Amino acid sequence: MQHEEPREDDELLARVAAGNQGALSQLIARHGRGLRIFAARYLGNTGDAEDVVQEVFVTVWKQAARFDPARGRASTWLYRITANRCIDQRRRRALRAFIGLDDVGDSVPSEEADAETATAARQELAIVRDGLSRLPERQRTAVLLRAVADLDIAAIAEVMGGSAGSAEQLLVRGRRALRDHLRDHLAMAATGRERKSS
Amino acid sequence: MTRDEFERNKRRFGDDVDVWPAPFRQQALAFMAGETGASESAADASPQDDADRALDRLVLEAALVDSDEQALARKVLARIDAGRARPSFLPRFLLAPAGLAVCAAALLVAVTLAGYQLARLQDDLPDSELLALASGARLADDGVSGIGADPAAGEGSL
Repeated sequence: MQHEEPREDDELLARVAAGNQGALSQLIARHGRGLRIFAARYLGNTGDAEDVVQEVFVTVWKQAARFDPARGRASTWLYRITANRCIDQRRRRALRAFIGLDDVGDSVPSEEADAETATAARQELAIVRDGLSRLPERQRTAVLLRAVADLDIAAIAEVMGGSAGSAEQLLVRGRRALRDHLRDHLAMAATGRERKSS
Repeated sequence: MTRDEFERNKRRFGDDVDVWPAPFRQQALAFMAGETGASESAADASPQDDADRALDRLVLEAALVDSDEQALARKVLARIDAGRARPSFLPRFLLAPAGLAVCAAALLVAVTLAGYQLARLQDDLPDSELLALASGARLADDGVSGIGADPAAGEGSL
Protein backbone atom coordinates (compact mmCIF):
# COMPACT_ATOMS: atom_id res chain seq x y z
CA MET A 1 0.00 0.00 0.00
CA GLN A 2 1.52 3.27 -1.13
CA HIS A 3 0.87 6.23 1.14
CA GLU A 4 1.02 9.70 -0.32
CA GLU A 5 3.67 11.20 1.93
CA PRO A 6 3.38 14.92 2.45
CA ARG A 7 5.88 17.20 0.86
CA GLU A 8 6.29 18.65 4.35
CA ASP A 9 9.41 16.54 4.77
CA ASP A 10 10.85 17.94 1.53
CA GLU A 11 10.25 21.47 2.77
CA LEU A 12 11.81 20.65 6.11
CA LEU A 13 14.88 19.22 4.40
CA ALA A 14 15.16 22.34 2.24
CA ARG A 15 15.08 24.47 5.40
CA VAL A 16 17.63 22.19 7.07
CA ALA A 17 19.89 22.63 4.04
CA ALA A 18 19.59 26.38 4.57
CA GLY A 19 20.85 25.95 8.14
CA ASN A 20 17.56 26.04 10.06
CA GLN A 21 17.95 24.02 13.29
CA GLY A 22 14.23 24.32 14.09
CA ALA A 23 13.46 22.44 10.88
CA LEU A 24 15.89 19.70 11.92
CA SER A 25 14.09 19.40 15.28
CA GLN A 26 10.78 19.05 13.43
CA LEU A 27 12.25 16.37 11.20
CA ILE A 28 13.48 14.53 14.30
CA ALA A 29 10.00 14.82 15.86
CA ARG A 30 8.49 13.27 12.74
CA HIS A 31 10.99 10.51 11.97
CA GLY A 32 13.19 10.05 15.04
CA ARG A 33 10.90 7.45 16.57
CA GLY A 34 10.60 5.30 13.46
CA LEU A 35 14.34 5.41 12.75
CA ARG A 36 15.13 4.50 16.35
CA ILE A 37 12.76 1.52 16.33
CA PHE A 38 14.22 0.33 13.03
CA ALA A 39 17.83 0.70 14.24
CA ALA A 40 17.11 -0.90 17.64
CA ARG A 41 15.54 -3.99 16.09
CA TYR A 42 18.11 -4.19 13.30
CA LEU A 43 21.05 -3.95 15.71
CA GLY A 44 19.39 -5.64 18.68
CA ASN A 45 20.85 -2.95 20.93
CA THR A 46 19.16 0.30 21.99
CA GLY A 47 22.41 2.05 22.94
CA ASP A 48 23.90 1.48 19.50
CA ALA A 49 20.57 2.47 17.93
CA GLU A 50 20.61 5.78 19.79
CA ASP A 51 24.14 6.51 18.52
CA VAL A 52 23.21 5.54 14.99
CA VAL A 53 20.12 7.75 14.89
CA GLN A 54 22.07 10.72 16.26
CA GLU A 55 24.70 10.15 13.55
CA VAL A 56 21.95 9.96 10.94
CA PHE A 57 20.53 13.37 11.87
CA VAL A 58 24.01 14.92 12.05
CA THR A 59 24.54 13.56 8.51
CA VAL A 60 21.18 14.98 7.47
CA TRP A 61 22.24 18.36 8.86
CA LYS A 62 25.45 18.29 6.81
CA GLN A 63 24.07 16.77 3.62
CA ALA A 64 20.46 17.92 3.39
CA ALA A 65 21.34 19.87 0.26
CA ARG A 66 22.11 16.57 -1.48
CA PHE A 67 18.54 15.34 -1.12
CA ASP A 68 16.69 15.56 -4.41
CA PRO A 69 12.89 15.31 -4.01
CA ALA A 70 12.59 14.36 -7.68
CA ARG A 71 14.51 11.15 -7.05
CA GLY A 72 12.51 9.82 -4.11
CA ARG A 73 10.74 10.43 -0.86
CA ALA A 74 12.44 12.01 2.12
CA SER A 75 11.55 9.08 4.37
CA THR A 76 13.21 6.66 1.94
CA TRP A 77 16.35 8.80 1.98
CA LEU A 78 16.37 8.89 5.81
CA TYR A 79 15.92 5.12 6.10
CA ARG A 80 18.63 4.54 3.52
CA ILE A 81 21.12 6.58 5.55
CA THR A 82 20.02 4.73 8.71
CA ALA A 83 20.35 1.29 7.12
CA ASN A 84 23.87 2.14 5.92
CA ARG A 85 24.85 3.45 9.37
CA CYS A 86 23.43 0.29 10.95
CA ILE A 87 25.56 -1.87 8.65
CA ASP A 88 28.66 0.19 9.59
CA GLN A 89 27.79 -0.10 13.29
CA ARG A 90 27.28 -3.85 12.99
CA ARG A 91 30.71 -4.21 11.33
CA ARG A 92 32.40 -2.03 13.97
CA ARG A 93 30.82 -4.10 16.73
CA ALA A 94 31.84 -7.37 15.05
CA LEU A 95 35.42 -6.10 14.71
CA ARG A 96 35.53 -4.98 18.35
CA ALA A 97 34.12 -8.33 19.43
CA PHE A 98 36.70 -10.12 17.26
CA ILE A 99 39.62 -8.31 18.87
CA GLY A 100 38.10 -8.73 22.32
CA LEU A 101 37.10 -5.13 23.04
CA ASP A 102 33.36 -5.87 23.19
CA ASP A 103 31.17 -8.70 24.26
CA VAL A 104 28.78 -9.82 21.57
CA GLY A 105 25.64 -9.68 23.71
CA ASP A 106 22.74 -7.86 22.15
CA SER A 107 20.10 -6.25 24.27
CA VAL A 108 16.92 -4.34 23.71
CA PRO A 109 15.41 -3.88 27.15
CA SER A 110 11.67 -3.67 27.20
CA GLU A 111 8.91 -4.05 29.66
CA GLU A 112 8.26 -7.65 28.73
CA ALA A 113 11.37 -8.93 30.46
CA ASP A 114 9.74 -9.88 33.73
CA ALA A 115 6.12 -10.05 32.67
CA GLU A 116 6.69 -11.87 29.43
CA THR A 117 4.37 -14.70 30.12
CA ALA A 118 1.71 -12.64 31.86
CA THR A 119 -0.61 -12.72 28.91
CA ALA A 120 -0.83 -14.61 25.69
CA ALA A 121 -0.63 -11.37 23.74
CA ARG A 122 2.65 -10.38 25.37
CA GLN A 123 3.97 -13.85 24.79
CA GLU A 124 3.08 -13.54 21.13
CA LEU A 125 4.99 -10.24 20.88
CA ALA A 126 7.99 -11.78 22.63
CA ILE A 127 7.98 -14.64 20.14
CA VAL A 128 7.84 -12.16 17.23
CA ARG A 129 10.79 -10.23 18.71
CA ASP A 130 12.71 -13.47 19.07
CA GLY A 131 11.81 -14.46 15.52
CA LEU A 132 12.91 -11.06 14.21
CA SER A 133 16.28 -11.35 15.90
CA ARG A 134 16.82 -14.77 14.31
CA LEU A 135 16.03 -13.69 10.75
CA PRO A 136 18.93 -13.28 8.31
CA GLU A 137 20.01 -9.64 8.29
CA ARG A 138 18.59 -8.70 4.88
CA GLN A 139 15.26 -10.42 5.51
CA ARG A 140 15.01 -8.62 8.85
CA THR A 141 15.78 -5.31 7.15
CA ALA A 142 13.04 -5.85 4.56
CA VAL A 143 10.47 -6.89 7.18
CA LEU A 144 11.28 -3.91 9.42
CA LEU A 145 11.24 -1.43 6.54
CA ARG A 146 7.78 -2.67 5.62
CA ALA A 147 6.30 -2.85 9.12
CA VAL A 148 8.01 0.07 10.86
CA ALA A 149 8.76 2.50 8.04
CA ASP A 150 5.67 1.52 6.01
CA LEU A 151 7.73 1.54 2.82
CA ASP A 152 6.48 -0.15 -0.35
CA ILE A 153 8.54 -2.68 -2.31
CA ALA A 154 10.14 -0.06 -4.59
CA ALA A 155 11.23 2.04 -1.62
CA ILE A 156 12.54 -1.02 0.26
CA ALA A 157 14.58 -1.91 -2.83
CA GLU A 158 15.93 1.65 -2.97
CA VAL A 159 16.93 1.60 0.70
CA MET A 160 18.59 -1.81 0.39
CA GLY A 161 20.25 -1.03 -2.92
CA GLY A 162 18.75 -3.90 -4.91
CA SER A 163 16.02 -4.66 -7.38
CA ALA A 164 12.32 -4.64 -6.54
CA GLY A 165 12.20 -8.39 -7.24
CA SER A 166 14.91 -9.22 -4.74
CA ALA A 167 13.34 -6.92 -2.13
CA GLU A 168 10.02 -8.69 -2.58
CA GLN A 169 11.70 -12.09 -2.25
CA LEU A 170 13.39 -11.00 0.98
CA LEU A 171 10.09 -9.73 2.36
CA VAL A 172 8.19 -12.89 1.41
CA ARG A 173 10.86 -15.16 2.93
CA GLY A 174 11.15 -13.05 6.05
CA ARG A 175 7.40 -13.04 6.63
CA ARG A 176 7.21 -16.79 6.01
CA ALA A 177 10.03 -17.49 8.47
CA LEU A 178 8.38 -15.26 11.08
CA ARG A 179 5.02 -16.99 10.66
CA ASP A 180 6.67 -20.42 10.99
CA HIS A 181 8.53 -19.28 14.11
CA LEU A 182 5.35 -17.86 15.62
CA ARG A 183 3.30 -20.96 14.85
CA ASP A 184 5.91 -23.37 16.25
CA HIS A 185 6.48 -21.40 19.45
CA LEU A 186 2.81 -20.71 20.11
CA ALA A 187 2.13 -24.44 19.71
CA MET A 188 4.97 -25.22 22.14
CA ALA A 189 3.64 -22.65 24.63
CA ALA A 190 0.12 -24.11 24.39
CA THR A 191 1.47 -27.61 25.01
CA GLY A 192 3.38 -26.33 28.03
CA ARG A 193 0.27 -24.69 29.47
CA GLU A 194 -1.76 -27.87 28.97
CA ARG A 195 0.87 -29.93 30.78
CA LYS A 196 0.94 -27.46 33.66
CA SER A 197 -2.82 -27.43 34.04
CA SER A 198 -3.04 -31.25 33.93
CA MET B 1 -2.00 3.62 20.91
CA THR B 2 -4.34 5.14 23.48
CA ARG B 3 -7.01 7.77 22.82
CA ASP B 4 -4.80 10.39 24.52
CA GLU B 5 -1.82 9.55 22.32
CA PHE B 6 -4.02 9.63 19.25
CA GLU B 7 -5.36 13.09 20.11
CA ARG B 8 -1.86 14.35 20.93
CA ASN B 9 -0.53 13.11 17.59
CA LYS B 10 -3.51 14.68 15.84
CA ARG B 11 -2.45 18.05 17.23
CA ARG B 12 1.16 17.40 16.14
CA PHE B 13 0.58 16.07 12.63
CA GLY B 14 -2.89 17.24 11.65
CA ASP B 15 -6.30 15.65 11.17
CA ASP B 16 -5.43 13.59 8.09
CA VAL B 17 -3.94 10.38 9.49
CA ASP B 18 -2.87 9.23 6.03
CA VAL B 19 -0.18 11.91 5.90
CA TRP B 20 1.25 11.24 9.36
CA PRO B 21 4.82 9.93 9.39
CA ALA B 22 5.48 6.22 10.03
CA PRO B 23 5.09 4.52 12.45
CA PHE B 24 2.53 6.95 13.93
CA ARG B 25 0.39 6.46 10.82
CA GLN B 26 0.11 2.67 11.08
CA GLN B 27 -0.58 2.86 14.81
CA ALA B 28 -3.28 5.48 14.29
CA LEU B 29 -4.94 3.45 11.53
CA ALA B 30 -4.92 0.36 13.73
CA PHE B 31 -6.35 2.40 16.60
CA MET B 32 -9.12 3.83 14.40
CA ALA B 33 -9.94 0.38 13.05
CA GLY B 34 -10.18 -0.91 16.62
CA GLU B 35 -12.38 2.01 17.66
CA THR B 36 -14.84 1.55 14.84
CA GLY B 37 -14.58 -2.23 14.75
CA ALA B 38 -13.98 -1.98 11.03
CA SER B 39 -11.35 -3.87 9.12
CA GLU B 40 -8.51 -1.82 7.75
CA SER B 41 -8.31 -3.89 4.63
CA ALA B 42 -9.75 -2.64 1.44
CA ALA B 43 -12.69 -4.47 -0.06
CA ASP B 44 -10.59 -5.87 -2.89
CA ALA B 45 -7.75 -7.05 -0.64
CA SER B 46 -6.91 -10.74 -0.83
CA PRO B 47 -6.69 -12.96 2.27
CA GLN B 48 -2.92 -12.98 1.79
CA ASP B 49 -2.86 -9.15 1.89
CA ASP B 50 -4.87 -9.24 5.10
CA ALA B 51 -2.52 -11.81 6.61
CA ASP B 52 0.51 -9.72 5.60
CA ARG B 53 -1.02 -6.56 7.09
CA ALA B 54 -1.83 -8.39 10.31
CA LEU B 55 1.75 -9.64 10.52
CA ASP B 56 3.11 -6.13 9.79
CA ARG B 57 1.00 -4.75 12.65
CA LEU B 58 2.27 -7.49 14.94
CA VAL B 59 5.88 -6.83 13.94
CA LEU B 60 5.47 -3.10 14.55
CA GLU B 61 3.91 -3.69 17.95
CA ALA B 62 6.67 -6.12 18.88
CA ALA B 63 9.39 -3.77 17.61
CA LEU B 64 8.29 -0.71 19.59
CA VAL B 65 10.87 0.77 21.95
CA ASP B 66 10.62 3.81 24.17
CA SER B 67 11.82 6.98 22.52
CA ASP B 68 12.01 10.64 23.43
CA GLU B 69 12.27 12.77 20.30
CA GLN B 70 12.89 15.98 22.24
CA ALA B 71 15.86 14.47 24.05
CA LEU B 72 17.10 13.08 20.73
CA ALA B 73 16.84 16.53 19.12
CA ARG B 74 18.80 18.09 22.01
CA LYS B 75 21.57 15.50 21.67
CA VAL B 76 21.77 15.90 17.90
CA LEU B 77 21.95 19.70 18.14
CA ALA B 78 24.61 19.39 20.86
CA ARG B 79 26.67 17.15 18.57
CA ILE B 80 26.30 19.61 15.72
CA ASP B 81 27.40 22.49 17.96
CA ALA B 82 30.32 20.45 19.30
CA GLY B 83 31.37 19.66 15.74
CA ARG B 84 31.36 23.36 14.89
CA ALA B 85 33.32 24.30 17.99
CA ARG B 86 36.01 21.68 17.36
CA PRO B 87 37.17 21.94 13.77
CA SER B 88 39.14 18.97 12.58
CA PHE B 89 42.83 19.40 11.83
CA LEU B 90 42.57 16.81 9.08
CA PRO B 91 41.02 17.76 5.77
CA ARG B 92 37.46 16.41 5.55
CA PHE B 93 38.43 14.34 2.48
CA LEU B 94 40.85 12.27 4.57
CA LEU B 95 38.12 11.37 7.07
CA ALA B 96 35.78 10.07 4.40
CA PRO B 97 35.92 6.36 3.45
CA ALA B 98 37.25 7.28 -0.01
CA GLY B 99 40.00 9.37 1.55
CA LEU B 100 40.97 6.59 3.92
CA ALA B 101 41.06 4.13 1.00
CA VAL B 102 43.33 6.45 -1.02
CA CYS B 103 45.65 6.88 1.99
CA ALA B 104 45.76 3.12 2.52
CA ALA B 105 46.54 2.53 -1.18
CA ALA B 106 49.31 5.17 -1.15
CA LEU B 107 50.79 3.61 1.99
CA LEU B 108 50.71 0.16 0.38
CA VAL B 109 52.51 1.43 -2.75
CA ALA B 110 55.12 3.22 -0.61
CA VAL B 111 55.77 0.12 1.51
CA THR B 112 56.02 -2.07 -1.62
CA LEU B 113 58.54 0.27 -3.25
CA ALA B 114 60.55 0.48 -0.04
CA GLY B 115 60.55 -3.32 0.17
CA TYR B 116 61.83 -3.63 -3.41
CA GLN B 117 64.58 -1.10 -2.72
CA LEU B 118 65.67 -2.89 0.43
CA ALA B 119 65.66 -6.28 -1.28
CA ARG B 120 67.67 -4.90 -4.20
CA LEU B 121 70.34 -3.54 -1.88
CA GLN B 122 70.65 -6.89 -0.13
CA ASP B 123 70.70 -8.97 -3.32
CA ASP B 124 73.02 -6.67 -5.26
CA LEU B 125 76.10 -8.89 -5.44
CA PRO B 126 79.39 -7.16 -6.18
CA ASP B 127 80.88 -7.80 -9.60
CA SER B 128 83.78 -9.74 -8.08
CA GLU B 129 81.35 -12.21 -6.48
CA LEU B 130 79.53 -12.67 -9.76
CA LEU B 131 82.82 -13.35 -11.53
CA ALA B 132 83.76 -15.86 -8.87
CA LEU B 133 80.43 -17.55 -9.26
CA ALA B 134 80.87 -17.73 -13.02
CA SER B 135 84.34 -19.16 -12.76
CA GLY B 136 83.34 -21.79 -10.21
CA ALA B 137 85.46 -20.40 -7.40
CA ARG B 138 84.26 -20.79 -3.85
CA LEU B 139 83.14 -17.66 -2.08
CA ALA B 140 84.86 -16.90 1.18
CA ASP B 141 82.71 -16.78 4.28
CA ASP B 142 83.26 -13.08 4.58
CA GLY B 143 81.81 -12.61 1.17
CA VAL B 144 85.17 -11.74 -0.39
CA SER B 145 85.66 -13.54 -3.65
CA GLY B 146 88.40 -16.04 -4.10
CA ILE B 147 88.97 -14.78 -7.62
CA GLY B 148 91.88 -12.69 -6.38
CA ALA B 149 93.86 -15.87 -5.73
CA ASP B 150 94.93 -18.00 -8.63
CA PRO B 151 92.71 -21.08 -8.82
CA ALA B 152 95.43 -22.91 -10.64
CA ALA B 153 97.66 -22.64 -7.58
CA GLY B 154 95.32 -24.92 -5.71
CA GLU B 155 95.23 -27.42 -8.57
CA GLY B 156 99.00 -27.55 -8.73
CA SER B 157 99.33 -28.51 -5.16
CA LEU B 158 97.49 -31.80 -5.75
